[in-house]
Amino acid sequence: MNPQLAALLADAFWSAVAATGFAILFNVPPRALFGCAVAAAIGHALRTWTVQLGLPIEPATLLAATTIGFMGVYLARWFQSPTAIFTVPAVIPMVPGTFAFRTMLGILQLTTLDIANSGPVLTEVSLNAIKTGLILAALAGGIIAPRLLFRRQKPVV
Amino acid sequence: MEHVQPPGIHPEHDVSHKRPLAYHELRDIIDLSLWAGQMLLQHGATSQRVEESVHKIGTGLGCDWLDILVSPNVITITASSGTEFRTKLRRVTSLGVDLGKVTAVNDLSRRIINGELDRFQMRTELEHIDKMPRSYNRWLVVIMVGLACAAFSRLFGGDWTVFGITFGASAVSMFLRQELTHRYFNPLLVVVVCAFVAGCLASTAGLFQLSDQPETALAAAVLLLVPGVPLINAAQDLIRGHLVTGIARGVTGLLISLAIALGLLLALSLTGVTL
Repeated sequence: MNPQLAALLADAFWSAVAATGFAILFNVPPRALFGCAVAAAIGHALRTWTVQLGLPIEPATLLAATTIGFMGVYLARWFQSPTAIFTVPAVIPMVPGTFAFRTMLGILQLTTLDIANSGPVLTEVSLNAIKTGLILAALAGGIIAPRLLFRRQKPVV
Repeated sequence: MEHVQPPGIHPEHDVSHKRPLAYHELRDIIDLSLWAGQMLLQHGATSQRVEESVHKIGTGLGCDWLDILVSPNVITITASSGTEFRTKLRRVTSLGVDLGKVTAVNDLSRRIINGELDRFQMRTELEHIDKMPRSYNRWLVVIMVGLACAAFSRLFGGDWTVFGITFGASAVSMFLRQELTHRYFNPLLVVVVCAFVAGCLASTAGLFQLSDQPETALAAAVLLLVPGVPLINAAQDLIRGHLVTGIARGVTGLLISLAIALGLLLALSLTGVTL
């Protein structure tokens, strides 16, 4: 098999495992687990693929999360349940956990450095913080994209 | 969402097809709506979801209109019917994510709109949901969460040794988290301790030179603690204009991330491994 395709399939498989694990932690009903796994696999593999094609990670995340958002709408209609039970566990593999705690690790590290040496660490902290924020915004914006686009309503009051 | 006209400043001038409810009926309905809203907010629903479901339940049970104020740890509801109204607030504490309960309450609101339940049946149903046990036993959760973190280590490009070490470290950390949470320790303290333990166990990859990618095990083993739901809900709330809850949830997520970093840093300074 094409090694690139094999790598993508492995990526899809492991993100499905990660999403299922977190879905069980969040007590998602058993009948919805498979949907979470499939949505996570497609979403994460899509992100990995588009990043390989040269897209920066933030727009790639937005694309993947939007795909998960739309899959969530159809799965939710199918299972008569809230979309969140599919979309939230499915985007968990894309949550920028590593960026988030590298930011925090950097902040804690800053306390041990003097002013002359803290420059590079500070830059790294800022970069990681911005990446964390942008990826989170992309995830949230992506999973509510179907509602923002198609379920608009006039504000009451 | 069904579009109902708000009662306006003078509810008595409002034309409603619904029968005006008696004061005691209104009391029952506001209690039930508050209970449902409380369960949604406690178990990880977004503010929009809470408002919509509570509104559907209240109007489905016969009120003309409900105004809902979702705050980070309080939910306030005013229910109006005819010329009567009642307002009540309830304190809410976060009890951890349970999407099973969110699904159940959502299902209940759908059945109420369809007119399948009255308020007495709804009370029984809510009692049932409140006592509903989790769908998965704790050992399955420990194993699956360990496996999830180990899967993350594969996604970060770790080898099979790292996979095994990550599995062990995060499964032990998850077990510890269940035990400490069960004993009502402060949630942030629980995260620091669990990150510390996961960090110490994952450091063995570097300490005994078991693998040439020890940092992968460290990064993956603490991912079970990452506040994914608070952070995603925070961003969703902010986008939808629920600024207060959004900011509060964001700060919660930030503090938990800081607690993870603190625990990990303690572990690293103890074992002498560098990330």
